Amino acid sequence: MPKAPANSAVRKADPVLQSLFDVQEATLPNGLRVRLLANHDTPVVSLYTFFQVGSRNERPGITGISHLFEHMMFNGAKKYGPKMFDQVLESNGGRSNAYTSTDMTVYYEDFASDALETVLDLESDRMRSLRIDDDALESERQVVMEERRVRVDNDITGTMDEELGTLIWKAHAYRWPVIGWEKDIENISRKDCEQYFRTYYAPNNAVLYICGDIDPKKTLALVRRYYGDIPKGPKPEPVLNAEPVQKGERRAEVRHPAQSPALMLAWHGPAARDEDTLVLDIIQYALTKGEGSRLVKKLVYETQLAVSVMVDWGWRVDPGAIIVYLELKQDSDPRKVEEALYAELARVATEGLTERELQKAKNNLRADHLRELATNSGRAHAMGHYEALLGSWRDGLTLPSVYAAATNEQVKAVAAKYFAPERRSVVTLIPAPGGATDEAVDGAADGKDAE
Amino acid sequence: MATRATKKTVKKAAAKAVKAVKKVVGKEAPTPAAVRLPALHESTTSSGLKVLAAQRGVLPLVAVRLIIRAGSSVDPADKHGLSDFTARLLRRGTAKLSADELDETIEFVGASFSVGSSEDVLSLFVATPAEHFPEMMSVLGQLVREPSFPEREVELARERALAGFVNDLDDPSVVADRAFNRALWGEHPYGHDVGGSKAHVRTFTREDLVRFHRERMGPRVSLLSVVGAVSPDVVAREAEKAFAGWEGGPEAPVELPPADMKTSGRIILVDKPEQTQTQVRIGGPGFRVGHADYFPAAAMNNVLGGGFTSRLVNEVRVERGLTYGIHSYFEMMNAGGVFGISTFTQTDKTREMIDVTLAEVAKVRQKGITPAELKKAQRYLAGLYPLRTETNESVASVISDIRVHGLGDDWVEKFRERLMEVKPKQTVEVATKYLFAQPPLIVLVGKASEVKKQLTGLGPVTVVPASDYE
Repeated sequence: MPKAPANSAVRKADPVLQSLFDVQEATLPNGLRVRLLANHDTPVVSLYTFFQVGSRNERPGITGISHLFEHMMFNGAKKYGPKMFDQVLESNGGRSNAYTSTDMTVYYEDFASDALETVLDLESDRMRSLRIDDDALESERQVVMEERRVRVDNDITGTMDEELGTLIWKAHAYRWPVIGWEKDIENISRKDCEQYFRTYYAPNNAVLYICGDIDPKKTLALVRRYYGDIPKGPKPEPVLNAEPVQKGERRAEVRHPAQSPALMLAWHGPAARDEDTLVLDIIQYALTKGEGSRLVKKLVYETQLAVSVMVDWGWRVDPGAIIVYLELKQDSDPRKVEEALYAELARVATEGLTERELQKAKNNLRADHLRELATNSGRAHAMGHYEALLGSWRDGLTLPSVYAAATNEQVKAVAAKYFAPERRSVVTLIPAPGGATDEAVDGAADGKDAE
Repeated sequence: MATRATKKTVKKAAAKAVKAVKKVVGKEAPTPAAVRLPALHESTTSSGLKVLAAQRGVLPLVAVRLIIRAGSSVDPADKHGLSDFTARLLRRGTAKLSADELDETIEFVGASFSVGSSEDVLSLFVATPAEHFPEMMSVLGQLVREPSFPEREVELARERALAGFVNDLDDPSVVADRAFNRALWGEHPYGHDVGGSKAHVRTFTREDLVRFHRERMGPRVSLLSVVGAVSPDVVAREAEKAFAGWEGGPEAPVELPPADMKTSGRIILVDKPEQTQTQVRIGGPGFRVGHADYFPAAAMNNVLGGGFTSRLVNEVRVERGLTYGIHSYFEMMNAGGVFGISTFTQTDKTREMIDVTLAEVAKVRQKGITPAELKKAQRYLAGLYPLRTETNESVASVISDIRVHGLGDDWVEKFRERLMEVKPKQTVEVATKYLFAQPPLIVLVGKASEVKKQLTGLGPVTVVPASDYE
């Protein structure tokens, strides 16, 4: 297991956060974990259900099943049949949605507080007795294919991101996109879905977070009533991180109809639980948060090589990737932009940040952290996110203190370690005339370019 | 960006097996707990700026919203995008602070300033930790009182905007929205994109900004709302300090002409030959914000194309798998509004998508919605309404809207009551009125060579290149 985020001396819960999180916790005999947080400001409640399963748990042949399955969860169970989940929910003043990531699948409802029991009935029904029928699966498959077209085929960043994933990872399941490969989506069967449900949607692989206008004691009694009889499932197989160490820069080009070139780059990063993760959060903020951040200032304002620049450092269960996306001007030379970017990253590794930059990043991390917690939905989601990635939602309350203790020495060391050229993958978008992509794929008789 | 880790995928819902669905829970609509705004405290600065303050929340955060009634509808005829461009340049230099110093002052403390325009208003939003509220108010005051619009910054911003227009052509959804808006409103002041176009923005000079600022932005057409962990006294005091001496701008907001939409079944097909999908926009006239039809229309629209159980989602997505997303909406502005539908589908299904969608709209227009559907919509919208008053930002927005659009100070408190009072007959009336009694405008963005042949008999088709929308 990865090590804990930081030494406990600095891991103190923030007093403001501590006062907000008077949480009741329980674990049912079937393993379902429950976290309840009352807030009576407005007569609404948010319920989040986190299942610890995502594309990370997939294998070639059924890539995209976590996400396709997420769709299937809205297609009817035993008590509430086809179309009824949303019908009943909306009729009672609630709405629902869900998302799938590499590491988790998350369902959530916001609703008027008097609908609490109805919502627990709906959610527990589908955890207990989801029905997967062929017609629903076929129809949902079409919807997901359409989703794939809008997110990947007709979206430049989606196309580049997919290419980048296969460069960064050779062996780990982070290699494929969350939405899955087209052919796999076409071939996932009802049987695959049923097995998936039995394996990952058992109560012992789930956590409920209920925040808002609730009475925690009564709510826990309701949760026991509705979820208590759902049988425990087998412990899911652990995922092996078989990713070999990267030994040199990896590059790919994507030729796609576009007005301007673009760059997407990635460096192998640590796992969420590694303390380097929090230092990378600081570096990410210093690089691209705000107009006065390093990369925005340098690449957008001073040299004007880029129209925009973003750094995405998203926490993951297994070691993730630090991704940089640069939207360029029509006449920008991608190689020149790369050089300018690398020079800035090297400066962080050798000189660190200024004391003011370091403090600025910390101030902004704290402000954003507080803003995230301004709503019931934000609080419930934050707890789930921290528990899924750090092991305990309580660790989320200590983040401000860990950030506050971070030093420039750590910043330098982390930048030097992770922004090394041999850890780097680069995808360049080369604008190609319209229709060229189709021809290229059709002409690739050996299939090499068709992936 | 479409990152892998945060790829949020919206769901779901299929099921061809339409079984005899048990009647949806029959209990009476609950009497929802009251939704109230925090107490509003009003003051006026010596320069004539109206200030609203509302103290709330346990987190040490404050949201500030300054709106100036100088949106894109007052852009000069040959300078489309000037309001929005001016808004962006406000924070690129003041009499006292350079762009870099502004960035540093704002960003160091963890505050954020966002600026921009809509059709009706130019807005500045500030979100700040409470302890930095006085300093951030002072910066806000400087931005609107004494922006310096440095020549070099104007030039850089113009270059960036022009590059942005070029890259926007790669986003079919943006192209579709632009084409739809332009065709729908025509010569009306709402008929150009808020951000303008390449042809206009390339002519912007520093003098244009100076003039816009002097003539259009002033305390008498502005409103400041401050919500969060700060007392009304402090708000009034800091507002006075920050905005004393602010001069300029008109005495009253510009009155816009009423909308004169001529949709008449026109089809505009924007050619993007590399696309495997067609973006679809369908629309016609709606009504202005604050119109008496609002509540019946909101309920009716929720049934037609609002939530996940709407008729459009059911017929187009669930039953036929034609799209990942479809919704209908009423967009309301100060001088008029739009009823529209937005969706996309794969290229060879374009006609089927249009036909199914228009047939669903026609059904509601001709037969209305059922009492059970109405009740569901009312409970859905009423149950979720409190979420609109959950954050400092949303409270600041709602109190600004109430005043700017004259919705009445009891708007929030009475919202659910008014919604629950809607009668089936009223929903029929609004459906007859707005659901394309006249043939709508249809805008399509996709592979024209494949799409055009599917459109036979639908209406006059004009094919235009995507570059028209730079």
